[in-house]
Amino acid sequence: MAGLVLVALLVGTALLAPLLSAKDPLVSDVEHGLSALGAPLSPSSTAVLGTDQLGRDEWSRVVAASGTSLAIAALATLIALVIGLSIGLVAGYAGGVVDRALMRLVDLALAFPFVLLAILLAALFREAALGSSSAPVFLTLGLVSWTTMARVIRGKVLVLARSEMVSAARAIGASPGRIMVRHILPNVIGIVLVVATLGFAQNLLAESILSYLGLGPPPPAPSWGRMLFEGRAYYRTAPHLVIVPGVAIFIAVLGFNLVGEGLRDAFDPRGRGRE
Amino acid sequence: MTRALVLLALLGCSPPDRGPRYRAAGATTPRAGGTLRFAVAEPVASLDPAIAYDEMSYYAVHALFDTLVDYAPDGLVLVPRLAARWELSDDGLVYTFELRPGIAFSDGTPITSRDLEYGLERVLAMADSPFTALLADIDGAAAMTEHRATTCAGIIAAADRTLVIRLARKNPAFLAILAMPFATPQRAAHITAAGNQLRRRPDATGPFELVRWDEGDRIELRRNPHYYDPTRAHLDGIVMLENIPRDTQFQMFERGELETAEKLAAPDFLFVMSEPAWQPYVHRSIAMNAFGSRMNVQRKPFDDRRVRQAFNYALSKAHTARLLNGTTVASHGILPPGMLGRDPELAPYPHDVARARRLLAEAGYPDGLDVSYATPNDEETQKVAASLQSDLAEAGIRVHLEVMAFATFATAVTDPAGPPFSFTSWIADYPDPINFFEQRFHSRSIKPAATGGTTNDSFYGNPALDAVLDAAHQSIDPAVRAARYREAERILYDDVPWIWDYHRITTEVLQPYVRGYAPHPIWIRDYTSAWLDLGPGGARVAR
Repeated sequence: MAGLVLVALLVGTALLAPLLSAKDPLVSDVEHGLSALGAPLSPSSTAVLGTDQLGRDEWSRVVAASGTSLAIAALATLIALVIGLSIGLVAGYAGGVVDRALMRLVDLALAFPFVLLAILLAALFREAALGSSSAPVFLTLGLVSWTTMARVIRGKVLVLARSEMVSAARAIGASPGRIMVRHILPNVIGIVLVVATLGFAQNLLAESILSYLGLGPPPPAPSWGRMLFEGRAYYRTAPHLVIVPGVAIFIAVLGFNLVGEGLRDAFDPRGRGRE
Repeated sequence: MTRALVLLALLGCSPPDRGPRYRAAGATTPRAGGTLRFAVAEPVASLDPAIAYDEMSYYAVHALFDTLVDYAPDGLVLVPRLAARWELSDDGLVYTFELRPGIAFSDGTPITSRDLEYGLERVLAMADSPFTALLADIDGAAAMTEHRATTCAGIIAAADRTLVIRLARKNPAFLAILAMPFATPQRAAHITAAGNQLRRRPDATGPFELVRWDEGDRIELRRNPHYYDPTRAHLDGIVMLENIPRDTQFQMFERGELETAEKLAAPDFLFVMSEPAWQPYVHRSIAMNAFGSRMNVQRKPFDDRRVRQAFNYALSKAHTARLLNGTTVASHGILPPGMLGRDPELAPYPHDVARARRLLAEAGYPDGLDVSYATPNDEETQKVAASLQSDLAEAGIRVHLEVMAFATFATAVTDPAGPPFSFTSWIADYPDPINFFEQRFHSRSIKPAATGGTTNDSFYGNPALDAVLDAAHQSIDPAVRAARYREAERILYDDVPWIWDYHRITTEVLQPYVRGYAPHPIWIRDYTSAWLDLGPGGARVAR
């Protein structure tokens, strides 16, 4: 329940971003946004969460960044979902050689350290100069995060493929495609939702990591990871530059994890309360 | 358990001692010994005095090589070094230097006037020395640079300790030029023996000599045992670390692993300024530089003076100052404060948006205009560019930023067909108005695109200014020169080939036990006279 509230709050913030902040998150205000020495301003009545190193309003930025971060995580999850679901379904249903081959592919993808693979892909996509500025980021995350999805779904499908329901469908002459889409898919939707929600939280975190490493959406577009990166050096003189995006990431990841756990409990009553 | 955790969290969060860890031991006179360590963000290119020109290399070569004269701590007056005294003939053309007795290379061999002659002639004969052009006023220099002669007629080693230099054309800045490290004595035998390793094997004449250079990592210097002046070189050694990012430098400094930190990143600078305990150890000096934006006055829309003036009114110098943490002085021209000929009565262009709009309308741009602005990709310059962009937008000037790698940027702006509007800066080679005005605004400094070497990259050619500068160059009377240069300042103030923006103040913070040092306006980081106020046995005294 708490998770749902947090997620609703976040999505609402992201959608209503322009209404929630009076100030432009991209425009620096040297005259009013910085102290005489050029230091970021601490939170005050004029700037609720203070200003950043270029005098931009921190609240406007963290709100605008929620849109960037959530959209990237959503698209990345969607890509992972499409790949993971297809591979999981095919591997689980076909079994045998196909299954073994596909699962070795998953092992291969998992064998690469996640962050290293993401950095490599992000750098490659950046070189390719794709049209959208955040495309390299969600493509990267989508391409590295589908493995868990594929494994979990394949496990579930493996059981379903040997069920009486599927034997019956096969007996009346349904094609494998039809069986997978009409009979198996509806039965894995629950687990897919759970994995996708948890994956979404993972992707939020991963986007922040990439942005922190300078591989996120390019400036001046705000993203939580980038805000954290740019503010880190001010940890002693303007700690709000680290705390604000840090808390935002924390809330978002916590919210989606809670929702994921909640969904899991809802779809799998036998597992409820067990850890 | 909970209480222990809370305590632990509090300990973790409470700031440790934010001030200096060490203090001065309290000596009243300079004490010999100790090693001073400092770091730079980029690598050192060369230790060959005829080649070393970049900031990092300059820090090292200045400690390794002495010259006839040097700039005093304020950077404007010349003091004797290898020369004990000198005379200038009445016609202002012939310099006679008498060398100091007891001067020697770091291997103990006495330095003679022939070594000085050889050092200068070597620079004249080199095709790749950036300093050759600075010696052009010497009689016979052209014959050497054009390879028509193997010796220079105007440089004469008259006796072991007498050097005569005859100029073909008066140059009031000539002594200041001879203070640059390239004018150090050198030995033919060493140059030949070192061959292509010369950049790593300096033949030291200064207060320090090279121990080792692990290229890209560190340079270690130690006191030159044969150096003549006991009031310099108190330190046993100097260690210069290369390729250390600025924020890491400050962390090392705080931990006591470096004796000084300069060019602090903004967050570290703000931290130091917010910490009273560090204040006595923060040193500031107005360096000999000028920063702004140059416009190619031969290209539209910058061929119209009203446009250039409008740009000057549109830029808020106060914004730049604030973004750079107050480490600037607003400028009205290229000459930094204290420089001969700087007109103190001129005030920087005020920030006047209405006036800028009016001037643009008069020039035929009532609806404003679109321009692109080239800038190198370092953090600080991009900050300044972003501020310029938002200031100019208020006056209806829509600026599109073009960010480039530094090397690309540096060649692009000297191309007449390159970006017509860009960031620019000038850091003095020697403290004289000649080095500012003639390099940046004399029509002679516009070179054909094919040969390169254009330093007047606003392509500003004004016969009236040329005449004033040439007249000033022909006088050795400081009063006459000052009057001429004030005239030049007024011409450039009205004609504005640049947006005059700021002069940068150098800030450096030292460990409390570093004494006898302040940033130098020209050398910036000159630790040759510094000393360390250490406790018994050379240990640092903790606070």
